[in-house]
Amino acid sequence: MDCHNQEECSRPQEEEDIMDIPLDDPEANRAAAKIQAGFRGHMTRKKMKPEDKAEGEERQEDRGQ
Amino acid sequence: MAPKKDPKAPAKKAEPAPAPAPAPEPAPAPAAPAVDLSAVKVEFSADQIEDYREAFGLFDRVGDNKVAYNQIADIMRALGQNPTNKEVNKLLGNPSADDMANKRVEFEAFLPMLQTIINSPNKAGFEDYVEGLRVFDKEGNGTVMGAELRIVLSTLGEKMTEAEIDALMAGQEDENGCVNYEAFVKHIMSV
Repeated sequence: MDCHNQEECSRPQEEEDIMDIPLDDPEANRAAAKIQAGFRGHMTRKKMKPEDKAEGEERQEDRGQ
Repeated sequence: MAPKKDPKAPAKKAEPAPAPAPAPEPAPAPAAPAVDLSAVKVEFSADQIEDYREAFGLFDRVGDNKVAYNQIADIMRALGQNPTNKEVNKLLGNPSADDMANKRVEFEAFLPMLQTIINSPNKAGFEDYVEGLRVFDKEGNGTVMGAELRIVLSTLGEKMTEAEIDALMAGQEDENGCVNYEAFVKHIMSV
C-alpha cells in the first residue's frame, strides 16, 4: 500500500475490519453458525438439483458392478 | 517381568458421559448429552415418508439401505432443512471422526433425527440472515465487503472451507467486491 503520510494510512479499512472480527464472542459465533448452516443447506440443495438424475443413474451403475 | 495386574478389579468402562455444567468459553463446545430419539414422535405423512425414503436412497452408495453418519447432515439439507453440524452431531450422539466415516444409519432411525431438526425452534428466516449480515455493513448501505464476509465465514462459527466459500460466493460480488446482502439472502433462500 502506497502511504504518503501516517494519518492517511490509518484508513486501511479492510485491515481494521479484519481486527473487528469478534472471534471470541459466543453471540457472533452462534449467529455465524446459523448463517453458515443456511448457506450449507442452500449449497447442498443446489448441488442436488441437476445431479438428481445423475445420482440415480450413478447409483444404478454402482449396483451393477 | 509381567506387570502386576489385579484381576479382581473390574475394569470400569469409561462411558461417553454427558458434559457437566458447560464452560463459558466459546471454544468447541463440550458435548451435550445425546438426544433421546426413541422419545421423538415421528409425524410425517405416508407421502412425506416416501419422499424422504427416496432422498435417503440417493445417498446410499453401498446398497445396504443405510447411509453413513457423515451423510446425515447433507440428506437433511437435501430435504430442505438447515441443521448446524453441531445439531447433527448431537443427534448422532457426538460421534468420533471414525464413527462419522464408518457408522451407518438405517432409514427408520433417520426419521426421528429428521423430525427433531424439523421441530427445532429458532429456525433462521430471511430476516435473521439479513440481520446477521447487516452487522458487517460498515457503511449502512446494504452491502458488505465480499472479502470480509469470506473471512467471517472461514473464522467464525462452523468454519467454512475456501472451496465452500468460493462456491457460495460465485457471482455474488459486484465489480467493487461488494455483496448486496439482501439479494444474497434471497438467492440463498430460493433453493
